[in-house]
Amino acid sequence: MFNIIVAGVGGQGSILASHIIADAAIRRACENSDHQLKVRLGETFGAAMRGGAVASHVKIGRDVYNPLIPENRADVILGLEPLETLRAGLRYIKPGGRVIMNIRKYEPVDVNTGKSDYPTVEKIVEAFDKIDSHVTAFDATGLAVECGTFKSMNVVMLGALANCSLPFSAEDLEGIIKQRVPEKTISINLRAFQEGFKKARQLWED
Amino acid sequence: MSLMKDTEEGNILLLMGNEAIARGAIEGGVDVVTAYPGTPSSEIVETLARAAEDFDYYVEWSTNEKVAFEVAAGASLTGKRSLVAMKNAGLNVAMDTFMTLPYTGVKGGLVIVVADDPNAHYSSNEQDTRTAAIYAQIPCLEPSDQQEAKDMTKSAFKLSEELELPVFIRSVTRLSHASGNVKPGSICAAPPKKTGFNKHWKMPYRWNVYGPPGPVNKHRWLYQQNEKAKELLKNEKYTSIFIPDSAETGIIASGLGASYALEALNVLGINENIAFFKTGFINPLPESKITSFLRSLKKVIFIEEGDPVVEKQVRVLAQEEAPNVEIQGKMKDHIFDPCGELNVNIVEETLCKALEIKLNQDTEREDIKERLGALVIPRSSTLCAGCPHLGTYWALKKALLKFQGTHIINGDIGCYEQGGYGVFSSEIKGSPDDSEKYPIDSPYEILDTLYVMGSGIAMAIGQTQSEYTDGKILAVAGDSTFYHTVLPAVMDASYSNADLTFLVLDNSWTCMTGHQPNPNTGKSPTGEPAPRIEISGVVKAMGIENVHVVDPYDLQRSTDAIVKALEFEGPSVVILRRECALQVQRRNRLKKPLTTVDTEKCIGCSKCLELGCPAVIFDTPSHKAGIDKLLCVDCGLCSQICPVSAISGKEE
Repeated sequence: MFNIIVAGVGGQGSILASHIIADAAIRRACENSDHQLKVRLGETFGAAMRGGAVASHVKIGRDVYNPLIPENRADVILGLEPLETLRAGLRYIKPGGRVIMNIRKYEPVDVNTGKSDYPTVEKIVEAFDKIDSHVTAFDATGLAVECGTFKSMNVVMLGALANCSLPFSAEDLEGIIKQRVPEKTISINLRAFQEGFKKARQLWED
Repeated sequence: MSLMKDTEEGNILLLMGNEAIARGAIEGGVDVVTAYPGTPSSEIVETLARAAEDFDYYVEWSTNEKVAFEVAAGASLTGKRSLVAMKNAGLNVAMDTFMTLPYTGVKGGLVIVVADDPNAHYSSNEQDTRTAAIYAQIPCLEPSDQQEAKDMTKSAFKLSEELELPVFIRSVTRLSHASGNVKPGSICAAPPKKTGFNKHWKMPYRWNVYGPPGPVNKHRWLYQQNEKAKELLKNEKYTSIFIPDSAETGIIASGLGASYALEALNVLGINENIAFFKTGFINPLPESKITSFLRSLKKVIFIEEGDPVVEKQVRVLAQEEAPNVEIQGKMKDHIFDPCGELNVNIVEETLCKALEIKLNQDTEREDIKERLGALVIPRSSTLCAGCPHLGTYWALKKALLKFQGTHIINGDIGCYEQGGYGVFSSEIKGSPDDSEKYPIDSPYEILDTLYVMGSGIAMAIGQTQSEYTDGKILAVAGDSTFYHTVLPAVMDASYSNADLTFLVLDNSWTCMTGHQPNPNTGKSPTGEPAPRIEISGVVKAMGIENVHVVDPYDLQRSTDAIVKALEFEGPSVVILRRECALQVQRRNRLKKPLTTVDTEKCIGCSKCLELGCPAVIFDTPSHKAGIDKLLCVDCGLCSQICPVSAISGKEE
């Protein structure tokens, strides 16, 4: 079984990213004529449509029955926002699991109104070290802006994810991205995917 | 929608539970589809509305669930196959007809899909509507995954016609809003059915509960149909049973509970030792199969999402048929919490305790995780950047400052209900005093009561008639809610001359559930032009004389209008009209917002933060306000609030 959580804030594209991952897994299963493989995709989110915490769970495997990943059993956390990466990661990442994190903050109203303090990125990375998980952190929003729009940040993150050992290929992901993003943004998104892929590879090699 | 048309053999579709139900309806040959939107059920009819051009059925967003239920029922009486979808709370609105229609039964297949919300992710309560299906004495199915959701919906139409009863399908958030692989089936290509109406169809006065032989005899017929259902469903395909030779303990599960149980048994490595019974039918239960299951075991554990609905029925059965079996679940000495929702972790831990198995857990790591948990601060839910309700709540707060006393603001259901969510990290304590005034330091603290659709204004009437004189009495509701259940209360306020002020937060769409059109939108469910029924005309026709219409982006005018309404003795209405900012952005995306903070002028008073807009940010080190350029839509609200005119950008 392969478990991945895409965590972020409503409006950042985490749901689309999780659907692209699930679609890539289904396509691989169809092409391999693997009828035993099952995919489940579930979401946990707060009440707000925009600006609330969102975590999409994707489970891929044969013994998959329900859409929620149990605690300590996520292989990968794809975190589109630091605080939300921490919220989902602390609960779900398995020992030895991989956390890929966009470091661009989206501060909650609780911080703006002075009722809470946002943890620093350094503290978050340190927290993941303490629970034995490997963090790759970079400014995915900045890369997306360089590619043409901040909105392709989720695809930059998918590019980074493609470095992991996955039950489907980077080409599978690219194929689904082409189908799922608006037509006029395909080239921006494919570039975003490549940039994210290169960035994470470079960070892992360092 | 191509997903809905795909019929190729061997294909696998990734469908959301709600899409799977929609697919099942199309495969089952549905003719009439109705709903009032409600999370987590809305995508059923959204999907069917999108696919409507490819298939020949009628689809509507009804004004409320009772109307939706009756439209679907009316179609069924003429022989059409119909489906009505709603959320848990929606069933309460439809309850009157829901309880009575089964007395006459139906002709064309009528399928009722209700999406419950264990853990109240998007709801005011956690009610388990399977109880309502049993109460109404109609068949109830509970799918455990997306494939079953599709298959059960498809087969429910036929079952409904065979039994001449409405058939109930209970979904939950984790099914409706989760996706899974589904093998599509063939789409029912039956020729268009001829409609007909016979008032004495098979029985005298068939569609008239009062007509002879009257309601008591029709109730008796309903009992007979329930007996017939038990007989008819002896070989239904939604039960699965596994009994290993040596098993002494077993699990009876349904719906998502069954899917969590299967995973937990696998992980614990005891799936070959524990007997397992999954039931798809909640009413009638497969009693004879359950009886033999009980008799083969010493102990049975119930795993179901929501109330102990299956457990309660089986406990009664066990008393008669298997009195020695030990039963554990959510009832007496419960091992599962009847509140909240289940997941694999909960099921694993509970099974370990009940079966005296050691839970494999890294306690050291868990301790570290718990300590690190302090870093995870809450993320309070907010209205969107540029939401017109932000302007409304600001104007309301300003208007109320002109009046002494402890005012009561009754909330209602829609995006604006977030005015009652509070800021998660503020620590509020209860107080025993009878009347106490609290400052409103954020729009998220403005609403004082919050229950269900339409309850706000009617509660306000009660407060005015109870001679509450410590302050002003108000209520708010959105445009869709206005048509859904507020109308009768407005009539009541007018008739009883209640001294209250009612604000209609009119943003043209049913936004919280995903921007469905309503009678105030001017669009049909499939996007065609439709009549727009304007709210000010309706309230005036109901006899309300003090009516104001203002733009909530204009804070001064909005404040003045609310003050005037509050000064008026008797019922007054202020309609704050401005289209949802998200819808405007969807049509016409702003390239680059012009709003900026002049940091030279900004005095760091943080007044702008009180607006509660997520695009207004504050830099603590420099003590200056700022604008999040990714979120800002140039609504101009914050610049109207700044006391030193440091925020500018939108053309004045």
